[in-house]
Amino acid sequence: MKEYLLRRLLMIIPTYLGITIVTFVIIQLAPGSPVSAKLGIGESLKDNVLNRKIIEDTKKLYGLDRPLIAQYFDWLKRSLTFDFGDSFKDNRPVMKKIAERVPVTLQINIIAILAVYLISVPIGVFSAVKHNSLADKAVTVIIFVLYSLPNFWVAILLITFLGGGEYLDIFPIYGLNSYGIEGASFFNFLLDRLWHLVLPVTCLAYAGLASLSRYAKVGMLDVIRQDYILTARAKGLSEKAVIFKHALRNSVIPIVTLLAGLLPAMLGGSVIVESIFSIPGMGKLGFESILARDYPTIMGIVSISALLTLAGFLISDILYAVVDPRISYE
Amino acid sequence: MSQKIIILLLLAGITFCASCAEKEVVDVYDNAGLEPVTGDTLVRLLPAEPDLLNPVLSTDTYASIIEALIFDSLIERNPETLAFRPLCAEKWEVSADGLEYTFYLRKDIKWQDGLPMTAHDVKFSFDRIKDPLVNAPHLRNYYEDIEKLEVMDDYTVKFTYNKKYFRALEICGTMSILPEHLYGKSPFNNSRLNRMPVGNGPYRFLQWNTGRDIVLERNKGYWGKKPYIEKIVFKIITDNTVALQLLKKREIDLMILTALQWESQTSSEKFNSRFSKLKYYVSGYSYIGWNIRNPLFADKRVRIAMTHFIDRKKILEKLLYNLGTVVTGNFYVNSPEYNKNINPYEYNPQKAGELLRDAGWKDTDGDGILDKDGRKFEFEFLIPSGNDFREKLATIIKEDLAVQGINVEIKKLEWAVFIQNLSERDFDATSLGWSMPLEADPYQVWHSSQAEQGSNFVGFKNKRADELILLIRETLEKEKRIEYCHEFHEIIHEEQPYTFLFCSESLVALDKRFMNVKVYPLGIRPIEWYVPEELQKY
Repeated sequence: MKEYLLRRLLMIIPTYLGITIVTFVIIQLAPGSPVSAKLGIGESLKDNVLNRKIIEDTKKLYGLDRPLIAQYFDWLKRSLTFDFGDSFKDNRPVMKKIAERVPVTLQINIIAILAVYLISVPIGVFSAVKHNSLADKAVTVIIFVLYSLPNFWVAILLITFLGGGEYLDIFPIYGLNSYGIEGASFFNFLLDRLWHLVLPVTCLAYAGLASLSRYAKVGMLDVIRQDYILTARAKGLSEKAVIFKHALRNSVIPIVTLLAGLLPAMLGGSVIVESIFSIPGMGKLGFESILARDYPTIMGIVSISALLTLAGFLISDILYAVVDPRISYE
Repeated sequence: MSQKIIILLLLAGITFCASCAEKEVVDVYDNAGLEPVTGDTLVRLLPAEPDLLNPVLSTDTYASIIEALIFDSLIERNPETLAFRPLCAEKWEVSADGLEYTFYLRKDIKWQDGLPMTAHDVKFSFDRIKDPLVNAPHLRNYYEDIEKLEVMDDYTVKFTYNKKYFRALEICGTMSILPEHLYGKSPFNNSRLNRMPVGNGPYRFLQWNTGRDIVLERNKGYWGKKPYIEKIVFKIITDNTVALQLLKKREIDLMILTALQWESQTSSEKFNSRFSKLKYYVSGYSYIGWNIRNPLFADKRVRIAMTHFIDRKKILEKLLYNLGTVVTGNFYVNSPEYNKNINPYEYNPQKAGELLRDAGWKDTDGDGILDKDGRKFEFEFLIPSGNDFREKLATIIKEDLAVQGINVEIKKLEWAVFIQNLSERDFDATSLGWSMPLEADPYQVWHSSQAEQGSNFVGFKNKRADELILLIRETLEKEKRIEYCHEFHEIIHEEQPYTFLFCSESLVALDKRFMNVKVYPLGIRPIEWYVPEELQKY
């Protein structure tokens, strides 16, 4: 196991290099440049001798005048200490910008994923046990209808009907906390935060129900047909014990491993939901950085997501061994 | 969201949102003899978060709205007469040759940390703009013709131009001034002050909660007339639907509405009992630009025909609910520079068809598409993606022209790529908008020297127009300059390098508890407002 872990950890190095090189080249190849994004149309189209000098100066200021390879190695060296430089957009350290937003996005996504798991595993079990019944079919239809609804539309509906104004005023529709909550007790603060998260989390979660409950259902169906389930039933165990004690544990293996794959997605954030609910998260940061051709921020986000993805895969493989004793990496 | 900033393309750098120069001031509320009182908070919508709050470095419109409250420049426009009046400078002098501009600063102005503001701060700010290591390329262009800035004494500065320029007073006088003693020699681009500015204006910076809001409070040490409203909160909300909802919940007091929101989502009685809807024109216009290098649009008859084909009145009505006006040229429609004797080309497909026939375009092979010398009349219409108005406009034009035997392909591109296509002149036709200062300088967009690599991306070249542009730039006498502007406007109309579309109105919804609200030609001025004690909310 130790040797396996070491090998896997070492593998991270070339993969990380590969990912960052490809990203570095792609963002530089993409049309548009941070200089013209900064200048705006009037200025970037103004290209007399003076302006060309200004563009050169600006490139120098950003270090964009040097060969790509030199730029990359310079970046790599700094990235090893998690120093991703300063953003072109507001000149603040990229790490600081990311650090501000990671907790927000993590919070929302962890709650959303937790909600998805807590709802879809029981649905999957239910559908498997009642396979092909009317109830199973109804659940499937409902879940797939939800899956097909675009989330910006659902978000707008929720905001219009539950967010006050002309209809019901139940949930806040803006930000993460009420105005002036800073002085409140921790418990009140937490309640306020959760109350603010209801709508965004709903928007993030409902579409995920479909795929995960399918996984749960298929996993369960596979297990129910096994001989040891037949044995358990033959022993005269109650249906409850058969399903929840013997079948469930085996059926969740594929779902557990899916969890690790979700790690980078958790950090990625959702541009749409974050924009609609005015939540300063990673999705918006990434999107805005790309539009502004803010190379340092894009690279910072990509590197961190790449590392997390790789770590996620590793964790998922280890989890495999943990939940299923038959798998070992000796 | 960023699209909004983009529509307001800054033609001449200074983000002064100028509006109707010839309209009168409209009093929205009668004061009813009330005595203005201090207190309360104005919550204003901010549709995108600024990158930073440093008037030398920031490039977005939203930052400039906030900075205008924190920083005072040497002079400002009188909101009623639009003439310049003293602000930080108590008076100024222009030398007889029009090259030297001397400003005499007030001696009682203090930075918000208590230290006095002097001529050295003006010099410091000027030097930062000129410093190639400072991230302000967008401003540097405008200060290039200034040969030097001299500090005559602690309260006197003199700008010297190397050639005559009619906007010189505005450019020197409205330059942003930063406190030298706070910035000092520390790195300017990533100074801590860029997110916690210290200024000399009527409001001072209080706090910035990233992604949430920016709060300003009344500057108690302000030398001039102090504002009444105690705090201004800029709430950052990127989604327009949510913003309107919050307005209706009265969590926002002031926001700019879209034409659709103005027309149909804010017309209920309940809404109008709580909010007043104000509108005023802003200096700028939208247009369709025809790439004159393309043989298709090289003939001015074809360009005029295109304008005749486009039913601008209908588009204005359907897309903008008539909240704007059709324009015929490049100057701001409510300024004296705009030539009102020119009538827009009317919607007249028949006349347009004749013009095209004269130019040699006929459907010879009977496929329903016009052709000439074996070339079909088809072109790409390039628009930036994510802009609702332009997407609808492009669709209308595509459909209308298809009937006339012209094939239009709509090409949508992301902003950065769109700009790149324009700078490489790789397009047939496009639609954009320019926003400009009250007294616009046509050089950047229309001079032939800007055709190959400048903002004149349609490639407009006209000898007389070039002469006029240079005359306009060096004529300090207003009357004479306006004559040149009118003649220039005629040429632009005659040549139709653009199909000029609309000058739109800015549409504002404001909570009714605010009093002394006036709509000036330049828009609204929250620093004059107050809330009567019994109506104060915060």
